[in-house]
Amino acid sequence: MSASGTSVIFEPLAFRTLEVKNRVFRSSLAGRFNNYDGTGNQAHVNWDLKFARGGVGAIISSNAPVHPRGLIVPNYAHIDRDKTVPFWREVVRRVHEHDCRYIVQLAFSGRQRDLGGIQYEKGWSSTDKPEPIHGLTCERMTVADIQELVRCFASGARRAREAGADGVEVHGCNGYLITQFLSPAANDRKDDYGGSLENRARFGLEIVRAIRAEVGDDYHLQFKITAVDYGRDLLPWAARGTTLEESVQVCRWLEEAGVDAFHVSSGNSFPHPRNPAGGFPVRDVVRGYDTMISSGRHTFRNYLLFRIWPFSSVFKWAWERAAKGRVEGINLSDSRAIKEAVSVPVLCTGGFQTASVVAAAIARGDCDGVTIARPLIANPDLVELWRAGHDRPPRPCTYSNKCLINQLESPLGCYDESRFTSREEMVQEILSVYEPPQFVQP
Amino acid sequence: MSTSVIFEPLRLRNLTVKNRILRSSIAGRFDNYDGSGTEVRINWDLKFARGGVGAIISSNAPIHERGHIVPGYAYLDSDDKIPFWRELGKRIHEYDCKYIAQLVFAGRERILPGLRFDSALGATDDREPINGFPCRSLTGEGIRDVVGWFAQSSQRAREAGLDGIELAGANGMLFTQFLSPAINTRKDEYGGSLENRSRFALEVIRAIRDEVGDDFCLGFKISVDEAPRELLPWLGRGNSVEDVVRVCRWLEDAGVDYFHVSAGTGFPHPRNPAGRFPVREVVRTYDTVLSSGPYTFRNYLVFKTWPLSALFRWWWQRPSKRLGVEGINLPGSRAVKQAVSVPVLCTGGFQTASVIAAAIERGDCDGVTIARPLVANPDLVQLFEQGHDAPPRPCTYCNKCLFNFIENPLGCYEEARFDSREEMVREILSIFEAPAYTGTSEPIEVA
Repeated sequence: MSASGTSVIFEPLAFRTLEVKNRVFRSSLAGRFNNYDGTGNQAHVNWDLKFARGGVGAIISSNAPVHPRGLIVPNYAHIDRDKTVPFWREVVRRVHEHDCRYIVQLAFSGRQRDLGGIQYEKGWSSTDKPEPIHGLTCERMTVADIQELVRCFASGARRAREAGADGVEVHGCNGYLITQFLSPAANDRKDDYGGSLENRARFGLEIVRAIRAEVGDDYHLQFKITAVDYGRDLLPWAARGTTLEESVQVCRWLEEAGVDAFHVSSGNSFPHPRNPAGGFPVRDVVRGYDTMISSGRHTFRNYLLFRIWPFSSVFKWAWERAAKGRVEGINLSDSRAIKEAVSVPVLCTGGFQTASVVAAAIARGDCDGVTIARPLIANPDLVELWRAGHDRPPRPCTYSNKCLINQLESPLGCYDESRFTSREEMVQEILSVYEPPQFVQP
Repeated sequence: MSTSVIFEPLRLRNLTVKNRILRSSIAGRFDNYDGSGTEVRINWDLKFARGGVGAIISSNAPIHERGHIVPGYAYLDSDDKIPFWRELGKRIHEYDCKYIAQLVFAGRERILPGLRFDSALGATDDREPINGFPCRSLTGEGIRDVVGWFAQSSQRAREAGLDGIELAGANGMLFTQFLSPAINTRKDEYGGSLENRSRFALEVIRAIRDEVGDDFCLGFKISVDEAPRELLPWLGRGNSVEDVVRVCRWLEDAGVDYFHVSAGTGFPHPRNPAGRFPVREVVRTYDTVLSSGPYTFRNYLVFKTWPLSALFRWWWQRPSKRLGVEGINLPGSRAVKQAVSVPVLCTGGFQTASVIAAAIERGDCDGVTIARPLVANPDLVQLFEQGHDAPPRPCTYCNKCLFNFIENPLGCYEEARFDSREEMVREILSIFEAPAYTGTSEPIEVA
């Protein structure tokens, strides 16, 4: 497809109550730039501005916990208290200066808390079985807990609206709490929230209805969903997870409940071999995973596995197998299935960085727009590059996933040295997120 | 006995401190990874200014990225950091509290290396002995660079309106690495004799004096009891107390305005901070350090595996048992005080008014610096003023604060001191309270 055939990327995308100037969204992504208690910092603003300047139509915020128990790791900006509103208001104001929309992602980790922090010893989940990969422990939520948390999601949405954000996204995928309810591989409840698909979907539906009741009908609300669990990609002995047919049905219910758009991802854990699909950077993992050893029951075993050859090579092979040769657009067929079933727009994530691939996906009706994380870290000006006629950036993202593992101990950024002329250049680029500092000379 | 001496002013060259209690260098990883400062550090230091200490010695402020101990501390390595420090100083001064910037170059005591430099620069090529942090020996030119960085950072502290500087010359940081024969293996003019081993420190002090002039307070923190064999008996001998005292005389001649007495050739060290070795906390947080050196994995297994952990803890706690915790450095302080004519400050677990007053009256020191007991009771000075000899909920010297700082916000992690875990966590997180966010992401101009 020629560059002129990619003009669909630059067409506005109209949701029910929101219009975005083009079809490219920055997906939820940030480093540990904020304070430990979830209050915001300058670096977070600087981070988001990188992408607003680079021309994306909208930014989906990093996961913003609606309750402190729902953090994934500390140092992300929460939206769990009214006092967080001024920070979000400021982020939104600065992003808007670039004609870019801002959508706050409302999140709750559940049992998938990589670093649980000092406030709560255990996460909350649909179950009391530990998370299977790291052995992160959790407590089974009571119905009262569920009701409380549904209210927290609604309050989070209200705060986002008060802050002037253009919409909210409910983080319903990648193994976090809503997946833990949706997926039969995780949800072992015997009450109204477990068992049948209807019951497993109840929690997500209640959240959507509560948000609608809180913020009204005239506010953009999208839902990020794991189309297929693919739980056996990594653990072949895992129980059966959510199927595409089930997810399609859930999306239909969610649309009826008031969802304005879907955002399609995959996998019932994070990370997962299919999301973010690509490399398993053993050396970086050994360096970055150590900090998680105290988090779970299986973490020390995993650490030894990553550290000791040939176990590390076997694991790397098993991890990379699932996505081999099909990183960019890996979720498109799932996205298409959902798009065919609903009437609201569908966004798809998964390694997009080639204009012709994105344009073809939209033209084919696989999705209405794409969300991008890693390739935008590598090239925050990706949209500008496309506009300038590049089909693919000159220095593309290599899907090495080094960004992902480094964010635990170091500032998020592109850690693939091969993309830079020197290590020094790479480090400078990573640390540029701290420019400008908060206090300056007049 | 009367403790009124604690509340008498203390003069450190151009600087008058309203009482005899200074907050020692301590803070958490509150700043940005690149060394730019945040509101949180201001909140942290304000706790102690409000609590009534006469002066605050800043957390270690690296003079260069390569000299940090761990990332997440405010640097003084470039002029664009000055506005942050100016704001910090201004806010502290509102409480009639002085502010002294502690300048550090960690050398091989680099717990987390950060992104740019794989190996540290120090006095030697030998690894740091406990964790195996790698180190390369500074060349003559490298030494001149570091000397220059110290001088420039001092000038920045002055430009920021701070009241003085202190060199982190104790606890195994770069100055200790030159001074101590247990570490310094150099064959050039910076190694060998005591004169040669002191050369680096003397050059730094002269360079700072040349840069900032004579009317700016300059302190030197020094390990008097080096005790390198306290933990690893096979290490070389450290300086004798007599040798350290000789060094202090030379440093005084070169222009040092006060000494700050500590102990140990590494950090942490069984004598500093003296007290307990909290095995559970260590296992929880030491994992972050595993990629920093070749001995860390062995250490981790020791800390994780009973009875090795119990044995290690016993070994670590021996000196504290023998010497006590509060005032552990007073004999060393007294030795320095008898040899020099400038004031001497002493650190080491102080939290009892009568103990502090007696130490000052006896001439062991002129004032004390406090870290952990102030983390436990930031209002310690006010408690003394109200007539408490010791705080109702004293610091237990459990050292849980120390080992938590690497992963969690610094604060008191001794649950036994609180009514509940929630109360403890609330207190720890209170440093993130107002002003939580200044409300603008436009850079704040600090004139």
